[in-house]
Amino acid sequence: MRGNDVAFAFGAMLFVAAAALTTFLVGNEYPFFAGYVILQYIVLAVAWTILGGYAGYVNFGASAFFGVGVYTSVFLAKAFGAPLLVQIAVAAAVGGFLGFAVGLLTLRMKGIFFSIATIAVTIIIDTFIVNWKYVGGAAGIQVVRPPTMAPFESYVKMLFVVQAILVVIAVATARYIQNSRIGRGLQALRDDELAAECSGVPTLKLKLLACVISGALMAAAGAPSPMYLQYAIPVAAFDLNYSVSALAMSLIGGTSHWLGPVLGAVLLGVTQQWLTVNISSAANVLLLGVMLVVFVVAAPRGIIGLFVRKKSEKTP
Amino acid sequence: MTSKFRTTRRRVLQGAVAVGAITSAPSMFSIAHAQQQSLKIGLSMPQTGGLAAGGRASQLGLEIWRDDINAKGGLLGRKVELVIYDDKSSAAESPAIYAKLLDVDKVDLIFAPYGTVQTAPILPLAKQRGMVLIGNFAFQVNAKVGHDMWFNIAPWGPADSWASAFLDLGQKAGGKTLAVLASDQEFSQNVAKAAKDVAAKRGIQVVFEQNYPPTTVEFAGIIRSLKAAKPDMVYVTSYPPDSAGILRAVNEIGVGDNVKIFGGGMVGVQFSAVMENLGSLLNGVTNFNSWLPEPSMFFDGTKEFFEKYSKRAIEAKVDPLGYYLAPFGYAQGQLIEQAVNAAKSVDQKAIAKHLRENELKTIVGPITFAADGERKESATLMAQYRGVTDKNLDQFRTVGKQVILLPERLKSGELVTPFEALRK
Repeated sequence: MRGNDVAFAFGAMLFVAAAALTTFLVGNEYPFFAGYVILQYIVLAVAWTILGGYAGYVNFGASAFFGVGVYTSVFLAKAFGAPLLVQIAVAAAVGGFLGFAVGLLTLRMKGIFFSIATIAVTIIIDTFIVNWKYVGGAAGIQVVRPPTMAPFESYVKMLFVVQAILVVIAVATARYIQNSRIGRGLQALRDDELAAECSGVPTLKLKLLACVISGALMAAAGAPSPMYLQYAIPVAAFDLNYSVSALAMSLIGGTSHWLGPVLGAVLLGVTQQWLTVNISSAANVLLLGVMLVVFVVAAPRGIIGLFVRKKSEKTP
Repeated sequence: MTSKFRTTRRRVLQGAVAVGAITSAPSMFSIAHAQQQSLKIGLSMPQTGGLAAGGRASQLGLEIWRDDINAKGGLLGRKVELVIYDDKSSAAESPAIYAKLLDVDKVDLIFAPYGTVQTAPILPLAKQRGMVLIGNFAFQVNAKVGHDMWFNIAPWGPADSWASAFLDLGQKAGGKTLAVLASDQEFSQNVAKAAKDVAAKRGIQVVFEQNYPPTTVEFAGIIRSLKAAKPDMVYVTSYPPDSAGILRAVNEIGVGDNVKIFGGGMVGVQFSAVMENLGSLLNGVTNFNSWLPEPSMFFDGTKEFFEKYSKRAIEAKVDPLGYYLAPFGYAQGQLIEQAVNAAKSVDQKAIAKHLRENELKTIVGPITFAADGERKESATLMAQYRGVTDKNLDQFRTVGKQVILLPERLKSGELVTPFEALRK
């Protein structure tokens, strides 16, 4: 292990430990309700970056994968009373499989055509769930939480820690991909797919892999949601807002480095939560829009882009 | 990795200033919020998103109550303060908002937002915290959660009551077969299901059944096949955009002379803008409603409320009539006013006990609650549009444009059949 890896592993453990510790130190539940949402966005944004950032395939289907995670959990909870960990694991597997299937069908399309295809996927799956009465259909379904598990004193605090662990898994995966042959291959195909293919980069295979991993992580992010809301409804689970947010967070943070989506999600997620409880009107939506525009204009390479030196600036 | 970052002292300082600004700002706000003496009522309200129009009208109704009660000296001698956040009409927003209301703002009482989807996630939270929750037009959310301190102001009553009312009217007029047309939405599906269940119980044959996606704009095909099925009764559960689309298609194609009653669960035709826009297309439709300006609907304070509302609605730019939701926002406050005064405290159990055991006087009539927190007796109106002309909003303020057919105690007229008779 290189020094960097050790530092990262240490940081990750520290993060989870700190998250777990705060659940015991802070009695007030609101930070965990709001924090859960922010962590969920971090997972989504990081997962989005694996395909959208590294490989440059702009995916508008984050809400499809998120919703698949939500409804996998709903189904498992209703049919088998499956525990949360099983729900997340199965949701990730289903999300990964969906990523594979969607990838096979759509990854031969490029640019805007791929993006449009991913929107279609959301609509198809949404329609399917709306008509599947067992999981509530269009009317939605109320989900009853199992009793809180020790040592946590409330279910939301437990979900907060679970989501924190998912963040670590997502970030570790993204970081590994970025620093490995996979990441370099994805970067190559992002810059010029034809040239990469000619140089021996197995482009389709790599894109599929990115799609599978990205899909699995997004579905995993959605899996605890029914237990958080104690309710699931297609309009909320397949809300296009998840797609837009994941994309916006990655772009604001910067897509070239795993830290980018993390920063973007924290910044945007915190702002959203803060605006909701402080500026209670249409103004909060407007402010968020203005923020997006400002970032796109002032920092086209994201926050990370402001800090990372351009390659051309590097001393030879 | 670190080599990629250029960390200078200035950057660190900039970062520190930014973080400081972000973290200190909320505390400034909470200082502004903190008023020790006031009695705080917390809620979320859809101020943006699909339910915003209704949410704002409902909020204005509640605000009028707040001003009235404060003019009388407040509750328990404390000034009433409303803490309201925007839930963007989304279920995903409400849990964090109510956690903030309870844990940070430390509100004394909570009300539910207008809308079933945002209410569903907070009901378990209210149960867990032992809080009274005054519902606002949510539909059948407590059946599974079973919170014994849930009190829904909506006039719905038992789950099947309004389907029963519609079918009562239809059967009385000689209807034997039913067509059900429903939007693929939470509310519409629930209502449609109740109608099908009641029909099955009564042996009414369902000759046509069609669900359509909420995005549907063109209904000509659906209305043609509905007409071909020759139903006696047509039960429609739709949302505002599709309610308009369906009525336009019906106007063009017609539904046939054997249809005795048409409507039931159409959402949207209770809102001023839609009513003004559809005008004469509404004639003959029998639909659910919550409050209408018929003589039977005026109780103590109702007239005064609408005098205030129509003035303030113009300033607030909300529904100028405000019949559907606003008086119920006011009545929510009246429930709490009576319960808190009786309990002489904000003790949740005592408040719940009073609400459960007493008949409560409101501007929308007397209310008693069943064990599940819904109205013991449905006060959902089934009303038929008559003599409506185009492009005239003020006509809806007059008696006789929406004649109440059921419930019996509020009735102001009889069903006119067939449906097409009133449209010629």
